[in-house]
Amino acid sequence: MHEGISVVLKAEQLGSVFGFPITNSLIMAWLVMILLFVGAYFFSRSLKLIPGKLQTAIEWAFEGAIGYMTEVLESEKLALRFFPLVASVFIFIAFINELEFFPGIGSIGLTRASEFLPLLRAPTTDLNFTLALAIIAFFTIEITGIVTLGLFKYAGKYVNLKSPIGFAVGLIELVSNLGRLISFSFRLFGNIFAGEVMVLVASYFLPYVLPAPLMGFEMFIGLIQALVFAMLTLFFIKLAIMDPHEAH
Amino acid sequence: MQQLFAAFGVNVSLIIAQAVNFAIVLIALWYFLYKPVLAMLTKRQEIVAKGVQDATLASEKLAHADGEAQKRVSAADTEANAIVSAARESAATEKARLLKEAEARANAVTKDAEERATEAAAKAKRESEKDIARVAILAAEKILKEKYD
Repeated sequence: MHEGISVVLKAEQLGSVFGFPITNSLIMAWLVMILLFVGAYFFSRSLKLIPGKLQTAIEWAFEGAIGYMTEVLESEKLALRFFPLVASVFIFIAFINELEFFPGIGSIGLTRASEFLPLLRAPTTDLNFTLALAIIAFFTIEITGIVTLGLFKYAGKYVNLKSPIGFAVGLIELVSNLGRLISFSFRLFGNIFAGEVMVLVASYFLPYVLPAPLMGFEMFIGLIQALVFAMLTLFFIKLAIMDPHEAH
Repeated sequence: MQQLFAAFGVNVSLIIAQAVNFAIVLIALWYFLYKPVLAMLTKRQEIVAKGVQDATLASEKLAHADGEAQKRVSAADTEANAIVSAARESAATEKARLLKEAEARANAVTKDAEERATEAAAKAKRESEKDIARVAILAAEKILKEKYD
C-alpha cells in the first residue's frame, strides 16, 4: 500500500466484462443514473396541479431556464427543443459533483496487489466522461448549425475565400471550434480533479479542520462547473445558428 | 499522444459507454421529468388563462346586469307613475260620477217628498171640505129642525 498522497489521473479499472473495462467512474455514473431515474420517477408520480415546495422549486427552475434560453436563442421553439439536452448536462454533472464528497465515495474499495482501488470515483474526474460529454455537445452544436443554416452557409463560416483576411479568420474559427472539444473536456475534468486533489492535500495539512470547508467550497465549484458546461453548450448552439454576417 | 491518452486513461470504448450513459439519462429525464413537468406547467397556464377569461366575462356580465337592472327599475318607475296617474284620474272620474249620482238621487228624493207633501195637503183639504160640508149639512139640518119644530 502507498504511503502519503496518491494521485491517479485515470479512473481505476476494477475488472472487465467480455474485454470491456469496468472502471470505478463508470460504476459511479451508473449509480448516479439509478438515483436520477428513481428520483425523477417518484417526482413525476407526485406531480400535482397545486404544487408542493419541491415541485414549486423545480417548476420555477424549469421556467427560469426556458425563459433564459428563449432570450438567448431568440426563439421559444428552439429553447424547448434544446432544453432537455442543456438541462440533462447540468443535472447529470451537478449530481455527480455533489455526490463526489459523500462518505464512501473514494474511501470504500478493494485492495488488489497491495494497491487500494476505490469502488466509486466521480466520473467528472475521468477524462473519458468529460470527453464523451464534450463530443456530444460538439456534434449537437455542429449538426444544429448545419440544419439551421444549411451545409454551405455553415461551412462558409470557416472557409472564406473572398479575401486573405477572411480566409485567416475562417481558419482561426475552425481551429477554435475544434479546440472546444479540448476546452470543454479539460475544463470540467481539471476543475473537479484539482478540487479533489486539493481536499486530499488539505487533509494531510490540517486533517480535522481544513477538508470540510474545502469540500463545501468544492461542492459549490461542482455546481458552477455544471452550469458552465450547460451554458457554454447553449451559447455555442446560439453561435452556430447565427448567420455568418451577424456572428462577426 | 499515445502516452498522453494512456496517462489520462482515455479509452474509446469507455468514451462510447459514457456517451451512451448520458443518452440514457437524457431520454429517461425527458420521459420522467421534463415532459410531465412541462405538461403540468402548460395545463396550469391554460387553467389560469381560463380563470382570467372567466373573470373578465363575469365582470362584463355583472356590468351588463347592473345596466339591465337600472333599465328595468327605470321602466318599473315609469310604469308605476303611469299607474298612479291613471288611478288618480280614474278616482277623480269615479268621484264625479258618484257625486252626480248622489245629487240625482237627492233631487229624486226631494221631488218625491214634495209630491207626497202636495198630495197629503190636497188630501187634507179634501177631507176638510168633506168635514165642512158635513158640518154645514148638520148645521142646516139643525136650523131646519128648529124652524119646523
